[in-house]
Amino acid sequence: MILAAIRRWTGRTMLTGRTERVGRTGRTEKARRRYKPIAADIVVDIVAFAGLVTALALLLAHNTAALGYRWQWHRVPRYLLTFGDEGFQAGPLLIGVGVTLRIVAVSLLLSLTIALATALLRLSSSAVGQWIAGVYLECIRNTPLLVQLFFIYFVIAPLVGWDGWTSAVISLSLFEGAYASEIIRGGIVSLPYGQWEACYSLGLGRRDALRFVILPQAVRRILPPLVGQGISLVKDSALVSTIAIYDLTMRGQVIVAQTFLAFEIWFVVAGLYLVMTVSLSAFVGLLRRRLAVNYDR
Amino acid sequence: MTGNGSVTPDGPIITVESLSKTFANGVKALDQVSIDVARSEVLVVVGPSGSGKSTFLRCLNGLETADSGTVVVDGIPLDDNPQNRLEIRKEVGMVFQQFNLFPHMTVGANIDLAQMRVRKSAPREARGVTIELLRKVGLEDRVESYPSRLSGGQQQRVAIARALALRPKVMLFDEATSALDPEMIGEVLDVMRDLAAEGMTMVVVTHEMGFAREVGDRAVFIDEGRFVEVAPAAELFDSPREERTIAFLSKVL
Ligand SMILES: Nc1ncnc2c1ncn2[C@@H]1O[C@H](COP(=O)(O)OP(=O)(O)OP(=O)(O)O)[C@@H](O)[C@H]1O
Ligand SMILES: [Mg+2]
Repeated sequence: MILAAIRRWTGRTMLTGRTERVGRTGRTEKARRRYKPIAADIVVDIVAFAGLVTALALLLAHNTAALGYRWQWHRVPRYLLTFGDEGFQAGPLLIGVGVTLRIVAVSLLLSLTIALATALLRLSSSAVGQWIAGVYLECIRNTPLLVQLFFIYFVIAPLVGWDGWTSAVISLSLFEGAYASEIIRGGIVSLPYGQWEACYSLGLGRRDALRFVILPQAVRRILPPLVGQGISLVKDSALVSTIAIYDLTMRGQVIVAQTFLAFEIWFVVAGLYLVMTVSLSAFVGLLRRRLAVNYDR
Repeated sequence: MTGNGSVTPDGPIITVESLSKTFANGVKALDQVSIDVARSEVLVVVGPSGSGKSTFLRCLNGLETADSGTVVVDGIPLDDNPQNRLEIRKEVGMVFQQFNLFPHMTVGANIDLAQMRVRKSAPREARGVTIELLRKVGLEDRVESYPSRLSGGQQQRVAIARALALRPKVMLFDEATSALDPEMIGEVLDVMRDLAAEGMTMVVVTHEMGFAREVGDRAVFIDEGRFVEVAPAAELFDSPREERTIAFLSKVL
């Protein structure tokens, strides 16, 4: 996955505006080169992962047999999906997935907003703005997320009347936003300064330069690491179970407490997280491909 | 297209007085330089690397802020007032060594942008001007191409068209051909030659001494941030007076 990320990353150096002449046949070759690796990478990743899981499962089966653990996979499906008079109904685990996805979706939007604002503040010429952004970054990056979550839920929330869900979303957004802002800032400063100067020399202001010239180019550089951050967000969201939010992790805990199906349920929970994160990468992969088309015509 | 300066149509279009600039690292890039540029004049600026040529040019459109001295373009002083700075940037186009085209936009969009955002032109109106400018640089068939599909020479011609998009009265060229393969230099110089012939006021930093002598009305030799010698171009290149000019020219010619 790392290899694939690097390949994707370096693959875009051709997009930085250097002269590049490609013959008539270059087009299709290029298109193929661009589309195939992403699909291939995912397949390779999945196969490798499946192999690893099988090996682990065999090992586990061997050891648990020694422990005398009684596998009861047949009891698991009902926690995912039940079929009754009213057709299919989501079981607690799938409902938990829904809660996690909702938290992630809202936090993702909020954290991106915070991240962009922070990055622009840090790049602004305002000393106060830079200071505010700097303090925010240092506070977030130098304390544990769990402590931030508790601080907001137990200290701030009662003061301002937030419920658990709001506290969870705000903690996650502030946390991921700090890291994402560094990614965005990095993407912006990595562009040649000549792009800014060309804008200024044309009479464009800072805002127009950002909107029409800088950000559209930075997005292509920012997106891959930002996806990584989004995946962290999915994973970190499990922590909200500690403030009594019934997300996927919390549902898993409850079921395990009631049924003692510890191995089976945690396998399934981990698998569901995996499905979420892999889908997220795949979705952004698609998005990226659509974005990349432009440069290349 | 009425600038504030139309009150003095015969005076110099650019007036620079006692301009000095020292960078934060202590490098004195400009040291008390003064010069007037007349309307339709082509002023060429030559000098060794690091002598302050770029800094001088960039002070003329406010990309660099001088520590002291004044710049007045077409009657508008380049000062702290952002409105003045904007007016000057509308009247002064700049062409960079590295082209600095926007790689994510088509050639047409590159040239449309400032017209739409700064002049507030409607898209169709802007596109009309864009096509006309591209025709001028011989690239009207490349409106929909992305810059990466063009050769270096073509990219620089697009950059010139883009700098002309706001119908500036002055054009600044900072080593416009230095990043080009030799076989592409000619096409860019031709465009610059045409512009000069049309009466565009130009300040041209260049290492192309032949071109400088041919197209330049006047030439400045700059060294260590000072204007060592200012003379009609033919004179400066054929019979330089200053010791340092002679030494420099003997090295580059
Ligand atoms: N942003 C900057 N910060 C610090 N020093 C700078 C900066 N820009 C230029 N300088 C220094 O100022 C001096 C003049 O630079 P300038 O770019 O104007 O020279 P130049 O004549 O254009 O040189 P070249 O022919 O290499 O382009 C040089 O010594 C350069 O190192
Ligand atoms: Mg220079």
